[in-house]
Amino acid sequence: MASLTLKGIGKRFGRVTALSGVDLHVKDGEFCVLLGPSGCGKSTLLNVIAGLESQDEGSVRLDGHSIDRLTPRDRDMAMVFQSYALYPHMTVAKNLGFGLRMRGVPKATIRKKVLTTAGLLGIDDLLNRKPRELSGGQRQRVAMGRALVRRPKLFLLDEPLSNLDARLRANVRLELKQLHKKIETTIVYVTHDQVEAMTLGERVVVMRDGQVRQTGRPETIYSFPVDTFVATFIGSPEMNLYKGVIFKERKRSVFQGRGFFLELGNPRIDRMEGEVEIGVRAEDVKIGKENSTSPSVEVEMISDVGSEKYIHARLGQEHLTLRVPKDASFRTGEIIYITIDSARLHIFEKGRRLVTTNVEEV
Amino acid sequence: MKIEYSIKLRRERLENCIIRFLRITGILFFIIMVAFPFYWMIVSSLRPLEEIVMNPANLGLDIGKIDFKAYYDVLFDHGFLRYISNSIYVSAITVALSLVLATVGGYAVTRLRFRGRAFMSYSILIIYMFPAIVLVIPLYVIFSYMGLRDSIHVLILVYLAQTLPVALYMLMSYFKTLPVEMEHAGLMDGCTRFGVIWRIIIPLSAPALASVALYTFMIAWNEFLFAFMFLDTPDKFTISRGVVQLAGSVHLSKQLVMAASVMVTIPILILFLFFERHLVRGMTAGAMKG
Amino acid sequence: MSSLKRMHYREGRLAFWMLTPTFAVVLAFVLFPVIWNLWLCLKPVSLADLRGDALFHFNLTLDNFWRVFSDPDFGTVLLTSLTYTIGGSLLSILLGLAAALLVCGKFRGRAFLRGLFISPYIAPVVAVTFTWSFILDPQLGVLNRLALDSGLLTRPIPFLSQRWLDLEVLGVGFRIPLALTSVILFEGWRYFPFAFLFILARLQGIPNELYHAASVDGATPFQRFFHITVPQLATVLSTLFLFRFIWTFNKFDDVFLLTRGQAGTKTLPLNVYDYAFGEFNIGASSATAMVLFGVLAIFIFVYFRWGVRIEN
Repeated sequence: MASLTLKGIGKRFGRVTALSGVDLHVKDGEFCVLLGPSGCGKSTLLNVIAGLESQDEGSVRLDGHSIDRLTPRDRDMAMVFQSYALYPHMTVAKNLGFGLRMRGVPKATIRKKVLTTAGLLGIDDLLNRKPRELSGGQRQRVAMGRALVRRPKLFLLDEPLSNLDARLRANVRLELKQLHKKIETTIVYVTHDQVEAMTLGERVVVMRDGQVRQTGRPETIYSFPVDTFVATFIGSPEMNLYKGVIFKERKRSVFQGRGFFLELGNPRIDRMEGEVEIGVRAEDVKIGKENSTSPSVEVEMISDVGSEKYIHARLGQEHLTLRVPKDASFRTGEIIYITIDSARLHIFEKGRRLVTTNVEEV
Repeated sequence: MKIEYSIKLRRERLENCIIRFLRITGILFFIIMVAFPFYWMIVSSLRPLEEIVMNPANLGLDIGKIDFKAYYDVLFDHGFLRYISNSIYVSAITVALSLVLATVGGYAVTRLRFRGRAFMSYSILIIYMFPAIVLVIPLYVIFSYMGLRDSIHVLILVYLAQTLPVALYMLMSYFKTLPVEMEHAGLMDGCTRFGVIWRIIIPLSAPALASVALYTFMIAWNEFLFAFMFLDTPDKFTISRGVVQLAGSVHLSKQLVMAASVMVTIPILILFLFFERHLVRGMTAGAMKG
Repeated sequence: MSSLKRMHYREGRLAFWMLTPTFAVVLAFVLFPVIWNLWLCLKPVSLADLRGDALFHFNLTLDNFWRVFSDPDFGTVLLTSLTYTIGGSLLSILLGLAAALLVCGKFRGRAFLRGLFISPYIAPVVAVTFTWSFILDPQLGVLNRLALDSGLLTRPIPFLSQRWLDLEVLGVGFRIPLALTSVILFEGWRYFPFAFLFILARLQGIPNELYHAASVDGATPFQRFFHITVPQLATVLSTLFLFRFIWTFNKFDDVFLLTRGQAGTKTLPLNVYDYAFGEFNIGASSATAMVLFGVLAIFIFVYFRWGVRIEN
C-alpha cells in the first residue's frame, strides 16, 4: 500500500510527444482510473510508473520517495496487461508463482500464496493448466492473480477488461470493485471506456494528447467538466454542445445558436457575453408545455434502449438528444417543447469551462 | 455455344491427362536423379573392392556380399575416428556460441534502444553476401603470419562469422513476433534483462532456436574450403577435410572414399529426417549460402 | 534528470555489450579480410613472405593487376566463369521450378518427396562431389559402364577430365565443352533444392481463389498455369536468379572437388586459389579476388538497372 505522486512527467518518442507535464497524486488505497481515447498517452504513463519506460522529465514518487532510479523489479508494483501476457510455457500455478520465485520466496510459501490467491479468484481447479487451455475470462483471472499474489504496493492495470465480451466485462467490473474493497490496495487503472472509469474509479484522470485534462471524482467530472473535450468524452449519450453567442436582452441573457435561442434565466450567467459554447446533457433537457420562451424541437428519431428512450431531435440547425422515460410515446416529426434548467448548463469559452457554478475541488 | 463448350471440356480433360502423365514421369525422373547418387554411395561403400573393379555396372546390392571392411578401415586405419570427433567438437562449439551470441545480439537489436540500431539490423545481411573465396586468402595470410592458422579454434571462429549473420537475422525476425508485454510482465515479476531472456524469451523461441542450431550445425559440419586451407596437421582434420585427404591418397579404393562419404553424410541426413521442418525454415529464412 | 539519462545510457550500454562479441567476430573474420585484401592486391607478396615483415612494407604497385589481366588465359577463365554461373543458375532454377510444380498440390507422400528433393543441397559437398566423380568415372563409373554394356557407347566418356567432346547429330558436328557441361549439370543437381524451396513456398502462397476464379472464367489447366502461376512466380524467379548468380559465381568447392579446375573448368575462384597455391603469388590471387568482386558489382548494377525489377 502506498501513495503515488507524479511530478511533471514528460516523455517523447523521437519527435512525438507522448506525455507532457503530467502531475498526479494517488492516495494510499485509492482506485485511480486513467481515462482517455487511444493514443492519449495513458498506457505510456502506466509504463513510466512501472519503470518499463523511462521518462524524459519529471519524477515518480512512491510514498514520497523517488523511484526513478529503480528497475521495475525493485519498484514492487504488479501489472495486469491488456493481452494478459501470461507465460504460455508455464502452467497457471507457475504463472502465478513466477514473481515470487524471482524474488527468492521459499517454495512452500509460494505454494500457499498461490493457493490463497487462486481461491480468492476462484481459479483453484485451473492451476495445472497451460494458458492456451483457458477461456478468455479465465485468462483474465489468472492475469489478475499473477498481480495479486505478490501483494505489491501498487497495482497497475492496463485495459484489463477490453478483451472480454460485454456481459463478462460487467461481471468482472463488479468483482474488481469488491476485490479492491477487500484488499484495500492502491490501484492505477487504464481504460478508454468511460463506463468502466465512472463505475470503478474513486478518482478519474481524463487524459488527451499526453496531458491531464481533468482529475477528480467521477461525479465531479461528469457534472463539472473543465473543457469541451472532457464534456463530450464523458457521458452517454454524448453531451449536446452548441456554438453561439450570449447577449443581453432586457436584462436577461439569451444564447443564440444556429437557428435557435435559449433564454438563460440564471443570474450567475448574467455577467457573461460573447462567443461561447454551451452544453447540456440529455437528461437535463425536460419536456415542457408550449410557451413563448421554450424552444421547440422536431423529433427525428427515437432509439429505445429498453430502460429508457433517447429522442434525437432537431433544434434549429443543430441536433439535440434528450432522454425520456421508457413509457413516453413520441412520433417522428412531432414537435415538442423543451425546457432546460440554466443551472445545469455547461458554458465553455474557447473550449474551457467558465467557472460560474459551484466550484469543485479539482 | 454448346459445341464450343464441349471443345473446351475436351481440352480440359486432355490437358488433365497430359498433366497427370507429366507429373508421374517427372516425379520418377526426380526421384531417380536425386536418390541414385546416395544409393550408389551406400551400395559402393558396402561392396568388396573386387566387386567394384570386376563388376562396376551391377546396380543391385548382393545381401550376402555386404562388407563393412571399408568402414572399419576408414575409421581405424585412416584416422576417421579422430576426424569425426574433431568435426563434432567444431560443430558443437560453433552451434553453442552461435546460439548464445545470436540470442543475446538479436535480443539487443530487437528490444533495446540504442544509436545505430537500424543500421545494425540492415548491415547484418550485407555482410553475409561476402564470398568465402574472397575472405579465405587474406585470412590465410594473416593467420599464417601470426602462426595461428593450423588451429581448430580459429576454424570455429571462422564458422561463427559465417553463420552468425543468418542466425542473428533469423532470431531477430522471430523475436519481433513475440509480444513485448510478455517481457514487461517478466520485468514486473522481478526478472532482470538476462532473466527475461533466459526464462521467457528462450523457452518461447524453442522452434527458432532449433532452426538456428540445425542451420549452424549443417554449415559447420559440411564446411570444406576453410578446413582445407587452414588445417595442416591430420590430427586436427575435420571429417570433410579427412574425406579429401583420403580421396587424394588412395586412388583405387573407391569404396573407402564412399564409406567416408557415407559417414560424413549420415549425421546430416538423420538430423534432416527428424527436424526437416526446422531445417527448411532455417534454410528459407537464411537462404543458406551455397 | 541525470539518473534518467543514466537509465537510457544503461540500456544503450547493455545493448553494446550484448552485440560486441558478434560485432568483433564479424569485424575480424569478414570486414577485416575484405580490407586486408585491398592491401594485399596492391603488393608484391608471395607465399614465402608470410613469415617476415614484408607484409607490412609500404611498397604498393599495380603489378598484380597487370599480371592478372595479361595472363593469356584470363579471357577464357572469365568466359568459363560466366558460362558456368549462368548455366548453373538457370539449370538449378529450371529444375527447381519443375520439382516445385510436381510436388505442389496435395497427394500422399508429398512430404517425403519434399524431404528427398532437398537432400542434394544439405549433403556435405565432399560426399556428393566424390560420389558423382565415382559415378562419372571412365573406368569404374557406373554410368559409362552401363552405356558401354548396353552398346550405347563404344568407348567411355571422361566426363570430368576431357575438355571438348565432338558430337555428330544428324550429320552436323558439335563441339561441346564436356567437363564444363558436367560441372554445370552437377551444379543444377546440387542447387535446384534451393530454388525448389522458394518456388514451392511461393506456389503455395498463391490463393486458391485465383484458380477457382480462372476456372469459372473457363481457363483450362495450361491456361491457368500460364496466366496465373507464371506471373505470380516472376518475382521469385528473378530474385532467385540474382542470388544463384552471386553464389555460383563465387563457388569454389564444387568445381575444385570435381575437376580441380582442369579440362576447361577453371573459373575465377579457382584462379584465386591457383595463383596463391599454384604460383605462390598472393598478390595476384588477391587481385583476382578484386576482379571477381568487380564483375559481381557490374552484374548487380546491370541487374537492378536494366533487369527485372524486384519487389521488396
